[in-house]
Amino acid sequence: MADPRPERWAAPRTTVVTGATGWLGRALVHRLVADPTRERLRLLAHSTAEAQALRASLAGRPGVEVMIGDIARAETAKRLVYGVGSDTDVLHAAGVIHPKKVRQFTEVNANGTRHVTEAAIDAGIRRMVHVSSNSPFGTNPHRDDTFRADEPFHPYLGYGRSKMMGEMAVAEAVAAGLDATIVRPPWFYGPFQPPRQTTFFRLVRAGKFPVIGKGDQRRSMVYVDNLVDGVLAAELTPTAKGNGYWIADARPYTVDEIVETVGRALVDEGFSVKPPTTRLPTLAARVAETTDRLLQGVGVYQQQLHVLGEMGHTIACDISRSVAELGWEPQVELYEGMRRSIRWCVEQGLEL
Amino acid sequence: MRQVPALPVVGSFAERLLADDLPDLTAERRHEAVTFIAHRVDTLPSFTRFGVLLIGTSFRILMAVPGGWALSGIVMRLPLPFVGEYPRLVRSLGFAYVWEHWPSTSPTGAAAGAS
Amino acid sequence: MIAQHATASMDAEVLVVGSGAGGATTATVLAEAGFDVLVVEEGAWVEQGAVVPFSLDQMDQQYRAGGVTVALGMPSIAYTEGRCAGGGTEVNSGLYWRPPGELLERWHRDFRIADFDPDELLAIADEVETVINVRTVPGNHSEPSDVLRRGAAALGWRHGEIPRWMTYPHADQPDKGERQSMTRTYLPRAVAAGARLVVGCRVDRLEMSRGTASAAHTTLADGTSGTIRFRHVFVCGGAIQSPALLQRSGVHGHIGRTLAVHPTVKLAARFADALNVPDDVPVHQVKEFAPHLSFGGSASNPGLVALSLLDQWSTFRRAITDWQRMSVYYAAITSEGTGRVRSFPGMADPVVTYRLTHRDRELLRSGLARLTLLMLEAGAEEVFPSFQGAPAVKTRRDVATMQRAFGVNRATVMTVHLCSTVPMGEVEGRCGADSFGKVVGCHNVYVNDASLLPTAPGVNPQASVMAFAIRNARRFAAGGSRG
Repeated sequence: MADPRPERWAAPRTTVVTGATGWLGRALVHRLVADPTRERLRLLAHSTAEAQALRASLAGRPGVEVMIGDIARAETAKRLVYGVGSDTDVLHAAGVIHPKKVRQFTEVNANGTRHVTEAAIDAGIRRMVHVSSNSPFGTNPHRDDTFRADEPFHPYLGYGRSKMMGEMAVAEAVAAGLDATIVRPPWFYGPFQPPRQTTFFRLVRAGKFPVIGKGDQRRSMVYVDNLVDGVLAAELTPTAKGNGYWIADARPYTVDEIVETVGRALVDEGFSVKPPTTRLPTLAARVAETTDRLLQGVGVYQQQLHVLGEMGHTIACDISRSVAELGWEPQVELYEGMRRSIRWCVEQGLEL
Repeated sequence: MRQVPALPVVGSFAERLLADDLPDLTAERRHEAVTFIAHRVDTLPSFTRFGVLLIGTSFRILMAVPGGWALSGIVMRLPLPFVGEYPRLVRSLGFAYVWEHWPSTSPTGAAAGAS
Repeated sequence: MIAQHATASMDAEVLVVGSGAGGATTATVLAEAGFDVLVVEEGAWVEQGAVVPFSLDQMDQQYRAGGVTVALGMPSIAYTEGRCAGGGTEVNSGLYWRPPGELLERWHRDFRIADFDPDELLAIADEVETVINVRTVPGNHSEPSDVLRRGAAALGWRHGEIPRWMTYPHADQPDKGERQSMTRTYLPRAVAAGARLVVGCRVDRLEMSRGTASAAHTTLADGTSGTIRFRHVFVCGGAIQSPALLQRSGVHGHIGRTLAVHPTVKLAARFADALNVPDDVPVHQVKEFAPHLSFGGSASNPGLVALSLLDQWSTFRRAITDWQRMSVYYAAITSEGTGRVRSFPGMADPVVTYRLTHRDRELLRSGLARLTLLMLEAGAEEVFPSFQGAPAVKTRRDVATMQRAFGVNRATVMTVHLCSTVPMGEVEGRCGADSFGKVVGCHNVYVNDASLLPTAPGVNPQASVMAFAIRNARRFAAGGSRG
């Protein structure tokens, strides 16, 4: 089984990144600008303020072009690839996970992706990498189950449906001739996290992270640098068109292990941590999930409810095909990744 | 211990159910299938047979009132324990019999060659 | 035919109730060890080949209640039991699975089975495999079997051909195998060693006195009653009938409380070309998700194809004209739920119930969806899942619609593997029999069939049944039980 590391393409002349100001986008751009063979970078920011911040952080790096636009609008995608030439890769990292309104899921994750694939076909680019999720496949049927490389769609609520539609748009574009690869990261963590994510550390510190039932649900997670490695491997490795790859840490963790490891990482970074006390019955997660479903049915998205509802499930994936076909391997595991994540938050002056 | 024969209890219900599912099945074939269904109900294990005959009797009574057949259709679709399984059992036996004996039967029950 | 007809009064040193995988092997070991053995079978002797496999005629002749038996619950689960000389070995698909070594270790540990060496059991399995002629197909596989192979290969899922108890008299005809079974292997051997086999004789009750059974009260095929006197009795009626007989005989304890099954859901898939094989089943199984979830092929004669379309007949009926291009497949799970077998005074048959857990339901949904995906990858034009409200599936997107529409309570759920109603071992309150099958609280009553398996094995249980039955019978023969 020990395949030699697959061949890699050289970096393209132009690299286009959507969602460049998001969590993954910022980590991705951070890596791309450091690579001198990336001649031109065209980055899409959602707002003027974000674009200015991005420009400021990249001042001095030649070949960077920051564009402003909403991917939910077709002309944004057209503008984005206008005149790029065929030696171009598109890394589609734009997406919405915790929207203000449920309809944004479809507008951004489904329609936005379709706009990118259509523009990519018209522009005749080399390859598109679409960042999907575990959510089109829902949750595992029981805690010992692990998603294989290829699974039937079973979208988890509005987000899952929109990400499924995104994947289907990619599949259609591939059928029409586009070279595209899908990467599927589960729950990610690490530097460049949005401020809302500090809640996670605060809950663990207070011993109040809601563990459901026995806490033996398994969760695949991915350290953001492992994910960046995976996205780049999916971009540059000559694989069959349209393949999807799980990009996650080497193995799934149990929820108990996650809480314990994060607590340990916090202590080792000099924070005080109270022992975990918040255990909720499985029923609580089921009630949260049902309420979330009902609310989303009338267009309302409530983040805490959504996260709690999902916490009762196992979401575990098997990365072996990604490792074999992309020649990629996750380098960082949970404890080290969390320590780096905590240090980054501290450097940014975020209150944990 | 003598047991109550199933045919008088399930016969007319089974006839009606098969006539609905397979309107073009000839009366002769339908009758043959219904006889088979009743025979199988006769050989069911005691408790299941008792339950089937009990539910079967209820449906028979229901069918005797005006509009009873339409009402039966509603009752069959209710998520009641075991009640929905009675028509499923009757239909399963009927379908298995029809297609095992006449594999070229059409989706509406017509014999091969007929339309 | 080597079987005799029953008479009103019989006697034996050892009475074996039932002639299936457990009873036939028990009788052979004991007869060859010199015991005077009488095997009684409720059903008839039916020669292999006398009835078409998987036909209604076979169901009438060789199954209990014509194959219409059900474990009540939400949903109820249809099951089948062989009721003929040779029991379930005569009517099943003949696919052979050794008990996985890891499972034997778990049984050993969790149920504290004494003097138990998994290697010894696997050595017995070696012997059994020679006797019943376990082998693979000497040539090409049937098209419905190849569907499983190529679908799994496309997805990168673990799969393989399962060997069967088969002989192939003509080397160039891999589709003309002759299935082996108890009537062709162990039963003739038992009779040759002096055992008597009697058919058409149902045991209603054992006469018990302070833990010792002295006689069996029987009903013969013509409805008359009879009595059999014996010194020892082995109850081998299968996981439903064995606990039921003990209960009717007033034996209490952990009997009939932990029925374990492999619930299955199914679908019919239509392909571009004709592939239907009406009288045989695929030999490939997909074990990527084992032991929790397995996929395989079902019997698919036109009657059974019609049955698989029945739940959604109003929209699926159009497919039945294409039955020659269709085949039926199943997804089976290892259930965490349990069932019960209960006998009530005055009732000839037990009441069987089964309750699925939340996890079982999720697994059945996911199993049916994964199986559907496999069918699409194998080239199915259209897939018809067997539940009320199911959509016909042509694309991956339709699979999402299907999962959303799925509800186990609206599905046809079936099982053919029943076990664990008298679990063996030494854990009080959890085991109905000791480490060698002797019923707890009894001196001369043994169970030696699928009832003893501590849990559902996740694979066809007959190999486990035969190996344990031989082990236990040998122990009995060596133990100076003749007193």
